Amino acid sequence: MSKPVVVYEPYRKGLPPMGDYLRQLWSRRTFITEFSRSELREQNYGSVFGQLWLVLNPLLLAAVYYLLIYVINGTNDKARFGHLTATLFLFYLIANSLTGGVKAITSGQRLIMNTSFPRVMLPISATVVALFRFVPTLIVYFAIHLLLGLPFSWQMLWGIAILFIAIVMSLGLAILISCVNVYFRDISSMLPYLTRSLLYLSPILYEAGKLAGHIRRFEIANPIFYLLDAWSRVMVHANAPGLRAMAHAGIWALLIFSIGTYFFISRERDFAVRL
Amino acid sequence: MISLSDYNHAHEAQSIAVSVQNLGLTYTTSIDKKPTLKARLKSLGRGKKHTRVVRALNDVSLDVHYGTVLGIIGSNGAGKSSLMRVISGIIPPSQGRVEVFGSVSTLLALGVGFNPAMTGRDNVYLGGLAAGMSREDIDSQFDAIADFAELGEAIDAPMRTYSSGMYARLAFSVAAVVEPDILIVDEALSTGDAKFKEKSLNRMKELRTSDRALILVSHALATIEDLCNEVIWLNKGTLMARGNPKEVIAAYQEFMKVGKSASSDEDV
Repeated sequence: MSKPVVVYEPYRKGLPPMGDYLRQLWSRRTFITEFSRSELREQNYGSVFGQLWLVLNPLLLAAVYYLLIYVINGTNDKARFGHLTATLFLFYLIANSLTGGVKAITSGQRLIMNTSFPRVMLPISATVVALFRFVPTLIVYFAIHLLLGLPFSWQMLWGIAILFIAIVMSLGLAILISCVNVYFRDISSMLPYLTRSLLYLSPILYEAGKLAGHIRRFEIANPIFYLLDAWSRVMVHANAPGLRAMAHAGIWALLIFSIGTYFFISRERDFAVRL
Repeated sequence: MISLSDYNHAHEAQSIAVSVQNLGLTYTTSIDKKPTLKARLKSLGRGKKHTRVVRALNDVSLDVHYGTVLGIIGSNGAGKSSLMRVISGIIPPSQGRVEVFGSVSTLLALGVGFNPAMTGRDNVYLGGLAAGMSREDIDSQFDAIADFAELGEAIDAPMRTYSSGMYARLAFSVAAVVEPDILIVDEALSTGDAKFKEKSLNRMKELRTSDRALILVSHALATIEDLCNEVIWLNKGTLMARGNPKEVIAAYQEFMKVGKSASSDEDV
């Protein structure tokens, strides 16, 4: 008898054979890029005006905060404006990844019930879409940085490492929340409150150094607090990030990614019977 | 959808296409259709059950050979769709083993169209890519799929604008045009208008070759008898009978005491 092309057996230890799983994931990488492209096209980013909106949207956000800081507040703090835009744009990478990821599985019901594929592809695609939407904001930030006359230095290359940590964290959060939403469908309704709370608890509208010491102690529980602080130091002030901030952000990212991925992959066999 | 890109079209007639050995499937599912955290918190301490354990398949063993058109019959909840999903790799088994000796294309109940906001074209590509086909594979088959589905320019319209018949036509076309080694169709021949129903049936007949295996799940017993050369009957997850379509269908009908009612024999 010839060798079977594929064999399905019960999972041991709750996880599928990971080598095979990763191979399948890699062989379907085109899906992730195609999905992101289709998703952006569906959101009208395929048209000229849609693409323009990707740049206009962060510009408008920056304009709102310009109004807040320069006009209403009457200050002329260039670094504060730079800090606000830089951290806000990075925050939106994480928030968009969460909002895209939360329904990644529940809205993929038809595909999940009809096709065998590594389900983790769906939240990964949501993060890739968020990343596509983040890139133009980075260009807008550099334009603002230049216009404000903020400093440039080689230390800004630390931004690549911080961005990498932010992507790992976004991915972990998208994977985790997409799985949780299968079990509790109202998580997607609660998400705006969660992201709004995260926005206010993170050093975006204020700089981390301005926070009172006794409050700052609790920020160790905020996964993005030190990530955004490090991003601001690097991108706005062109300084090297603090080692403690990088370690905090890195450990949180790794933790969220590992827990989220383990939880997701060990549960994904349930998805077809729970949707 | 094609679930394997590893094509292997050279199959000897009567060689095994799918081998199911002592298959058992037990899973836990939520009682509420859309479980919420709010409901869970509200019922804390009341001892209310939120999940139930379903024993969908119980020690099922069967071999499907190339050249066979296997019909699967049984009442609702018999485990027909669960069996198809395990064979397709969509749900892993809890017990036993399934070996598949070729590329599988599945058309299981809901079919194609994973994102209604995207166009039919995008959905066909995404479905194909998710199933492991390459972009080139889909490019080469796309025109045939679109032609068979007879959607015209609607192929580039968002799928939320499609009627249920249009959905069904596109779903069937994707599964049946790609010429898989093993085609699994679950309750999909009963959708669409009469003309398309006939067209799909004819396509199924065309696909009945000695180097292909077809597995067909349907409540339409007349269609099963017409298309299949072997039938299995499942009841509450257990294999009740297997063999000649006429005999198995007769045994099933007797068991169900449906008599000769024409309406129960035809598409639901």
